[in-house]
Amino acid sequence: MKNLQKLTLFASLIVVLWSCNDAIDIEQPGRLGAEQAFQSVADLQLGLLGSYATLDATPQIQFNSVFTDELSIGFDSGGQGIGNGEYGFILNPGSAASTAQWTNFYASLNSFNRLIEAAALITPADADEQAQLNEILGQVHGLRAYINLLIVTYFSTDYTDDGALAGILIDFVPTVDQLLPRSTNGEFYSLIEADLNLAQSLLTTQSDPIVVSQDFITFMRLRMAIFRQQYPAADALAQQLIPRYPLANRAQYQGIFTDADNTGIIFEMQRVLNDRYDGQGATGSGFAGGWAGANYAFVNGTIDGSPYFEIGRSLFDLLDPADIRFDVNVNNTSIISPDINAAEDFRSEDILVVGKYPGDPASQPLLNDLKIFRAAELVLYRAEAAAAAGNINGAANSTAAFLKELRDARFGTDQPLPMFANATEAFGAILDERRIEFAFEGYRWVDLKRMGERGGRGILREALDCAINGACSLPATDFRFTLPVPIVETNANPDIQQNPGF
Amino acid sequence: MKSKLSWLITPLLALFMSFSYGQGKTISGNVTDQNGLPLPGVSIVVVGTNNGTQTDFDGNFALTASVGQTLRFTYLGQKTENRVVGASNTINVQMEEDAETLDEVVVQGYRTATKETSSIASSTVSSETIVNRPNASVVQTLSGQVAGLNITAASGQPGAAPRVTLRGVGSINGNTDPLYVIDGIPVDAQAFRSLGNNDIESISVLKDAGATAIYGNRGANGVVVIKTRNGSFNQKLSISYSGLLQFTSLVDNGEYELNNSQEQLLLEREFGNGRGVGLTDAEIAGFTTTDYPNFFFDTGLTQQHTVNLSSGSENATQFTSLGFRDEEGILSASSLQRFNYRTNVTGRTSDDKFSYGANLAVNYSQSDEPNAIGTGGINRNIVLAAFQSVPYISPDEYTNGAALLSPLSFANTPLFIIDLLNTFSREENELQILGSFNADYKLYKDLTARVVLSGEFRDQIRTTVEGPTSFNALLFAGGRDPSGFQTQSIDRQFTYNQVTSLNYNKTFGKHTIDGGAYVEYFRGFFQNFGFQQFGLTPALLSPGDGDAFIADNPNDDLFVDTVFANRLETGLFSYFFQGDWDYDTRFGVTGTIRRDASFRFAESNRFGTFGSVSGRWNIDKESWFDDNAFDVLKLRGSWGVTGNQNIAITAPAGLAFDAPDLTRDLFTTGVGQGGANSLFLNQIGNNTLRWEATEQIDIGVDFEVFQSKLRGSVDVYQRTTTDLFLASPVSSINAVTQLNTNTGEIENRGVDLTLNYDILRSNKAGGLNLTLNFVGNFNEQEVIDLPTDDGRLLLGGGIALEEGGRLSEYFLVRYAGVNPANGNLLFLTADGEVTENPNVDTDRVFLGKNLTPDFQGSFGFDFSYKGWFATTQWNYVIGVDRIDNDLAGFLNPNNIGQFRTSRDLERAFTPDNRITDIPSLTAQNLALSGNSDRFLQSADFLRLRFATIGYDFPSQFLEGTGISNLRIFAQGENILTFTPWRGFDPEVINTFNPAQSRLFPTPRVFAFGLEVGF
Repeated sequence: MKNLQKLTLFASLIVVLWSCNDAIDIEQPGRLGAEQAFQSVADLQLGLLGSYATLDATPQIQFNSVFTDELSIGFDSGGQGIGNGEYGFILNPGSAASTAQWTNFYASLNSFNRLIEAAALITPADADEQAQLNEILGQVHGLRAYINLLIVTYFSTDYTDDGALAGILIDFVPTVDQLLPRSTNGEFYSLIEADLNLAQSLLTTQSDPIVVSQDFITFMRLRMAIFRQQYPAADALAQQLIPRYPLANRAQYQGIFTDADNTGIIFEMQRVLNDRYDGQGATGSGFAGGWAGANYAFVNGTIDGSPYFEIGRSLFDLLDPADIRFDVNVNNTSIISPDINAAEDFRSEDILVVGKYPGDPASQPLLNDLKIFRAAELVLYRAEAAAAAGNINGAANSTAAFLKELRDARFGTDQPLPMFANATEAFGAILDERRIEFAFEGYRWVDLKRMGERGGRGILREALDCAINGACSLPATDFRFTLPVPIVETNANPDIQQNPGF
Repeated sequence: MKSKLSWLITPLLALFMSFSYGQGKTISGNVTDQNGLPLPGVSIVVVGTNNGTQTDFDGNFALTASVGQTLRFTYLGQKTENRVVGASNTINVQMEEDAETLDEVVVQGYRTATKETSSIASSTVSSETIVNRPNASVVQTLSGQVAGLNITAASGQPGAAPRVTLRGVGSINGNTDPLYVIDGIPVDAQAFRSLGNNDIESISVLKDAGATAIYGNRGANGVVVIKTRNGSFNQKLSISYSGLLQFTSLVDNGEYELNNSQEQLLLEREFGNGRGVGLTDAEIAGFTTTDYPNFFFDTGLTQQHTVNLSSGSENATQFTSLGFRDEEGILSASSLQRFNYRTNVTGRTSDDKFSYGANLAVNYSQSDEPNAIGTGGINRNIVLAAFQSVPYISPDEYTNGAALLSPLSFANTPLFIIDLLNTFSREENELQILGSFNADYKLYKDLTARVVLSGEFRDQIRTTVEGPTSFNALLFAGGRDPSGFQTQSIDRQFTYNQVTSLNYNKTFGKHTIDGGAYVEYFRGFFQNFGFQQFGLTPALLSPGDGDAFIADNPNDDLFVDTVFANRLETGLFSYFFQGDWDYDTRFGVTGTIRRDASFRFAESNRFGTFGSVSGRWNIDKESWFDDNAFDVLKLRGSWGVTGNQNIAITAPAGLAFDAPDLTRDLFTTGVGQGGANSLFLNQIGNNTLRWEATEQIDIGVDFEVFQSKLRGSVDVYQRTTTDLFLASPVSSINAVTQLNTNTGEIENRGVDLTLNYDILRSNKAGGLNLTLNFVGNFNEQEVIDLPTDDGRLLLGGGIALEEGGRLSEYFLVRYAGVNPANGNLLFLTADGEVTENPNVDTDRVFLGKNLTPDFQGSFGFDFSYKGWFATTQWNYVIGVDRIDNDLAGFLNPNNIGQFRTSRDLERAFTPDNRITDIPSLTAQNLALSGNSDRFLQSADFLRLRFATIGYDFPSQFLEGTGISNLRIFAQGENILTFTPWRGFDPEVINTFNPAQSRLFPTPRVFAFGLEVGF
């Protein structure tokens, strides 16, 4: 009898445990489910700040530098650029450059589309909230246009061909099993246009360098027109913006790259201490993702900062010490060999330290804002439009005049008016000027891609810089002036169309 | 069985009888063993009373008892005998050896069986092969001892957890460690750093599904059941001490032919990069060569002391152990110190209805653990400096960190690291408490209720300090003055496990039935918190102390601290049944079924069902199977399905807490634009998540032949893992490029073989004994199914999967030597044509090689004669291929001027030396070598893993000294290695990043020890 009681007790203990679900239904502390994420306009505002933080131009800066003639291998190289072959023009679907751009662009788009879809479900409480919602939506659509144009920039073979393929067009939040084909440039341009129109109707801010403003939208229209070689329209758009964005003077220009000055900045990606990009990132890799200056050096922007990439000699030779851009691009601790061909140890006798991203030596070296749209480009776009219209020479409204205007500002003195024999020379001069003006800002490869052939320019390195691997030149018509669709996409989406040559 | 039954019934009878008989008389007698020799110390009690005695030195005893009372004779290793007092005043007893205790008890998971009635595939390693082995981690000691258990060292760091796989690799992304259970406490591989080895009585490795299905979705990778020692009933207090003194050193197996200073400088001069440029021959001759491998690696001294006290009375036993180990690693700044305390007690009621045991171990360890090992951090990785430093830079050039800032030269690597050793510390303190309690109560004579409650508490404090005057601190100071940082991270975890069961055991004639119903409940709590403080005042600096912290100034925010905290919970709930039927110890069948629920799959697949059936046929028990050489012949077979719920390794917290809610779409907050707080997606959920399932078939034979001189077992198995948790590629439009899903299938097939052969066997004490041992496993893997359309899945690092191929196979462009025309590298295209410019994507081929051995195991001998004993264990591993990136570095011309290179470069192509295996130093396609198999090398090895020689002093020497036994011994580990691998240690590998080089090699150990018993 006694045992029976014990048995009953024991059995009931088992039953109690049987119903014990506390071991299984565990809600981990500190989790925010997707369905609870966006419930108010204030949440959307937080989401918008998160969306901005997905923007990162450092992979573009890295690729445009190492793959072209902006760089040479630094004296403190640990194999960066050589090991992965980027410096040897090795580009394939497994390359970091194509993987980083593609995945970053689509991660941004996913973030924007989630915000747009969430916003549709939120009813603003009052007029103030409605205004805030409009501002948020305007900015997100502007950002989406920006990323979509980047997809065209890097993955389309020909910007002027509306029938050429760009990337996957996505204006919704996909499900994980969706596999979509690529769309054409034309379809991309239509969505970009629609986003820009909507943004323009919603935004109230005219100008603000760190957020999407009306001027951002106008600049986007301008860049798209330039890429599509719709020059008259482009010229008109440039003229709209120029009065509000004068060229910086020499002091201001230096200040721009130490983040002390915002003259002529239409848009930049703000980088501050302790933000998501405050770190070294992947050094020497196309994934980058940290301080912009860490694309070139490990520690800081001086000779003691362990520069693993240095300024390519062919670019350096274009820089005039009287030009403020010499001071900005070449750090003053550099060792400049008077005659590189006479050097016994070229690597240690000619150390040209990239000076564009010094960061704040008193706080965080190498950490700088990433300048995305600058006033100089307005003038250079006008120069391009003039060349396309046949106005290559002359004291006003000509390619020569616009180039002189920019050089006057950079030298601080009156510069000679160039003379061009033909359009090729003019385009070539624009390319050379852009090479100096936008060095290390992620332009070189894109510029060669869209204008190299017209200007008779390609990648050309100084012989000593390419002795290490023989990769000295590459014509702008090479298939590697379009990125391949990366393996990470084709793995999942094997039917997606690959770019020619890969 | 008969005696057991009467033993069960006796208490009731005795209680009843004692009322009838009251007259006591003196009973005397003599107790002998099976050979007729007197047995001293046999415990004799009058059952049901406190009356008892022990036999004297000659086996004689005398005590008072009444007619009809029962005397119980117990002695360790002998069968318990009961005698009812009758008319005679003399009772002489000859005891029999107890096969059940001497023939090892086979752990079956939640129960035990005898060797004969066990139908599972398992191996047991006894304490003799564990105690005093000179490894801090007992898991490391198992290397080579169990057929099918592959143990790969991850690091030479004292106490580092090795990677353990059983019978091939059963998972790709999930955890492949077996489940470890210490005295009923489930723990992970990290639990052994602080655990004392000498407390362990036995380790059983459960291998087939018949054994592991009872562990449900934790059993797929095998189960390692560890029992710690207990005292014996009726045992006098025995005290023993053992001490170990060991010397560890770098195995100087590096066959890289590294340059000395002169060779290095001449090469630099010739190549035009580095300090050698511009030096005269005389200047070069003046440099000395610093042996950096032996500068940063040094002989380590280790001492270990253990004191054990064990005793037992009629109804209680205790075992207490105190241990201390102080180990210096061979690498600078690596060490382990630990203190262990353990008490195990057991008790029972005198009617044996209720028994219990309680185990408590408190372990504390403190280790210095260098980080960044394996990385390319020239300012962080001490191993890199040891291997790659140019030999002409002398350690004497070091003054302080500031002096290294300008010019910042990579060649100064050794000086960076010398500075690191002076200014950086990384220390881990761990407190571990392991406790378990078990109790059995016999509800009826056949029915027992049992409960096992157990828990592990672990508290780990990791303190990292970078001194403000260090090179690294100054280098990354930015505007901070002083710079430097201190990071402290505290992990605390508690896991609780409870098993409640009812067990039924009954014999009907020749049939014995044993069954159990179980409920298991597991719960775990993890908490992490810590901070990183930037800015330390040099004068006040002390690791772990905050007095040196510099407060933030809001004007510049240079000293903003980072704080972090994390909490995780885990849980499992299961119920299961096991039934075992035995017929006359000739046949037996065991069936297991388990329903298992894991918190990990609560929202997708709540309960999983696992189970197994196993059977045996003890052929040697058949009457017709006499008159042959076989003493034992048993055929076993099992089939079953187990699961692996540890499908992903995501959190630093450890397995139990990994991947806590992969089923959910999650957002989180973090730094957004301009440093503002923001909200973003951080996880896309998978709502079909489930465990990985492994189906295993095993057929085995256990045998003993020639008077049991040759003993062994052979098992053939096939393990098929389905629902493999693999990264399935998804389109980038999802913001990720892969999502882990349960898809894919792999198979491991193989043979386990264990053989022991007594060449010489003596029946006398002190006779000559020599036994040869062999342990072997052959395993092959095949990828059956993958989630991609083309049947391939790239895993990165030159490794991929292909249906029909091997697991994690190398997928690289084939290197084909040097072009005699220009010194460039030659490769093969996918079609086998020679080219200088292969397509690094499409010209890759599967090479049929991987990291998992085909054959591995050990062989050796055990020898004893007149107190002398010796053991050797040679481990062998065949079929392992690794990319030697250390070699790649030593042959990389881009390293000339910065790092040490190999003499092999002297053979480099020049127009005068066209036929060579080393490409031109300026080869134009050198970058492609990293995409090829140029540095893929065999890492097979044969290694004298362990050897010991020692002497047990005979008891006559010890008489009158108060010492009951005395043993001295010397031993060694990793004494000799034969391998084609050119690196320092073929065994050390980062299995998560197999191409990683600059790893911390395992040391060679020589140890001297002493054991004294009182």
